[in-house]
Amino acid sequence: MASPSFLPAGRLNLEIRTNLAMGRQMLILVGAALIGILVSAAILVAAGVPFGELLSEFVIQTLLDPASRQAVLAQAGPLVLVGLAGSVAFRTRFWNLGLEGQMIWGSIAATALSVFDFGPPGVRLPLMLAAAATAGLAWSGLAFYLKERFRVNEIISTLLLNYVALYLLLDLLYGAWQDPKDSFPHSPQFRDFERLPDWGWPIHGELLLALLATVAVFWLLSLSRFGLYIRFVHENKGAARALGVPVRAVMLASVLLSGALAGWGGFIITDVQEGRLTQSFFDGYGFSGILIAFLARNNPLAAAMVAVLIAVLFVTGQSLQIFYQIPFSMVQLIEAIIVMTVAASEFLIRHRLRWVA
Amino acid sequence: MAICEFIVNWAGGVPATALPYALAALGLIVSERAGVLNLTAEGLLLVGALAGIGASLAIADRPWVALPAAVLAAMAVGLLFAGLVVLLRVNQVIAGLAVVFFCQGLTSLLGTLAEWQNHPISGLGKLIVWPLSELPAGTHALFQQDGLVYALLPIFYGVHRVLFKSMTGLRLRAVGEAPEAADSAGLGVTRYRVLAVVAGSALIGLAGGYLAVGGTKMWFGGMTGGRGWIAVALVIFARWRPWRALFGALLFGCIESMVPRIAAAGISVPQYFILMTPYLVTIAVMVWAGRGKGGADLDEPGALGRPHVREERR
Repeated sequence: MASPSFLPAGRLNLEIRTNLAMGRQMLILVGAALIGILVSAAILVAAGVPFGELLSEFVIQTLLDPASRQAVLAQAGPLVLVGLAGSVAFRTRFWNLGLEGQMIWGSIAATALSVFDFGPPGVRLPLMLAAAATAGLAWSGLAFYLKERFRVNEIISTLLLNYVALYLLLDLLYGAWQDPKDSFPHSPQFRDFERLPDWGWPIHGELLLALLATVAVFWLLSLSRFGLYIRFVHENKGAARALGVPVRAVMLASVLLSGALAGWGGFIITDVQEGRLTQSFFDGYGFSGILIAFLARNNPLAAAMVAVLIAVLFVTGQSLQIFYQIPFSMVQLIEAIIVMTVAASEFLIRHRLRWVA
Repeated sequence: MAICEFIVNWAGGVPATALPYALAALGLIVSERAGVLNLTAEGLLLVGALAGIGASLAIADRPWVALPAAVLAAMAVGLLFAGLVVLLRVNQVIAGLAVVFFCQGLTSLLGTLAEWQNHPISGLGKLIVWPLSELPAGTHALFQQDGLVYALLPIFYGVHRVLFKSMTGLRLRAVGEAPEAADSAGLGVTRYRVLAVVAGSALIGLAGGYLAVGGTKMWFGGMTGGRGWIAVALVIFARWRPWRALFGALLFGCIESMVPRIAAAGISVPQYFILMTPYLVTIAVMVWAGRGKGGADLDEPGALGRPHVREERR
């Protein structure tokens, strides 16, 4: 195409770039995340939060004030687990978008043990953890079965199963499990021995669990034979199969593990935050898990770190809700904007724009 | 007689409940026929719904103000999505999800800040056209429909004509089946894809606007309740064909229209299990669509979900 004469001769050429130094890549990604944060800040300012306040009250306060630092860590536990859940599933290219449904099932199963007073008090907590993991993996396993047996796209099935799980939760909370004491739609309070232990800040059962899960998933994905298999499956299923990798078993295992981790995430929120099953405890965690896995590029250690940053965002969002009546979905909006800017910036990592004379 | 009344009443409710599914699925088909996997429907429905209510409350409580507002708002978001996936080649699943969550957050924020929540509007009125209005009064419930319902068939016919009987449609489908071949034949792949996404978004926005202006007649956060995801499933069930999508939408309209009427008829069933049915039926329909050799995959546009990369150009 001939350029009009008032433009300089030549044009912008787009080339594929295969090897960009890790440092430069990080620079681009962090820059993109910052742009996303700035856009979000602009939206908040437009929504009526003074810019000075935004910086001092929320960013600095959230990190320096011991009470809110504690809140951030408390928030980080479940976010680490859902982030790991996302990472594990996405490693085999299984789009598990049903983290919320699996969280709901995990919490329902654990709460069932409390409601029916099942098992001796001494082992109640481990039983609840086992129940949460089992219910979570059953729900993600169902989507896997539908995909393998009936070729139902997992993006759709996992999302729809979220709604099914939600209505089951509501049925229980407005029906059989409604707290008889106050008739509010939440389950009766958990007993003391059903709560995760707190040995004083910062050693909390929840954080130990998150830490343990991070290390275990890191070992599994990066150091074990299973991790090697997963890398094969991620790169090329056909080639992996030809090399004798049990592709289906590897995928099943990762999907089940993903569901189990999400189930734990749900259980932790119910157990630590309210100590009872509530109607919207899972709000915002499903997308956060996907976001964390995406930003961490499915790396478990990076996921744990990103989860802490998202926890800061969550706590900030809660303050905004209290002080400025900004709905909590603002957190979701900010997360979506950051995903967009970071995803868009990968264009610069994979391509080079060059002026051709 | 009571059962007869129930059926007329139920069937009369079907078009209104089926319409959002039909329009949203049609919009998705337009986009996916051009090769862009589109998961944004749930978000665009919300944007359309909020824009419809917002325009009604802020400008004028008229459907001819509200529905265009819904369409334009959804087109703007569609343009954003097209920019991400077509120009910047972002993974189409990630971008689609991000757009949905962006819309959920944005509509909830705007709806709250502008105080558009739970303010009823008069919205779209029912009308009955002349030859049908002469039928006995008992059957009026069947034909007393929103104007947009009567426009649905022409819209479907028009989109069908464009997609399958016109040069534009042939090119659009070529871009979705084999972008490299289309490119070497001189078609602007980028341009066709962007236009397809934006045009599809307009239809989804109209669906969202109708949901609010014709259906609930007010705004509340998350009011689409997963209809966008069901529309995404409908497209696979319909194998990317408009008329089949319309049939699927009617099926869902029948189910959704039944839900409130079961309770109203005094049949006692656990309500939350009834509310699960659309989602369970969708999964069942997907299982049905996936049966046989190859299932729905055979009809999938060849380049669905794959960005078109052309760097070699000198």
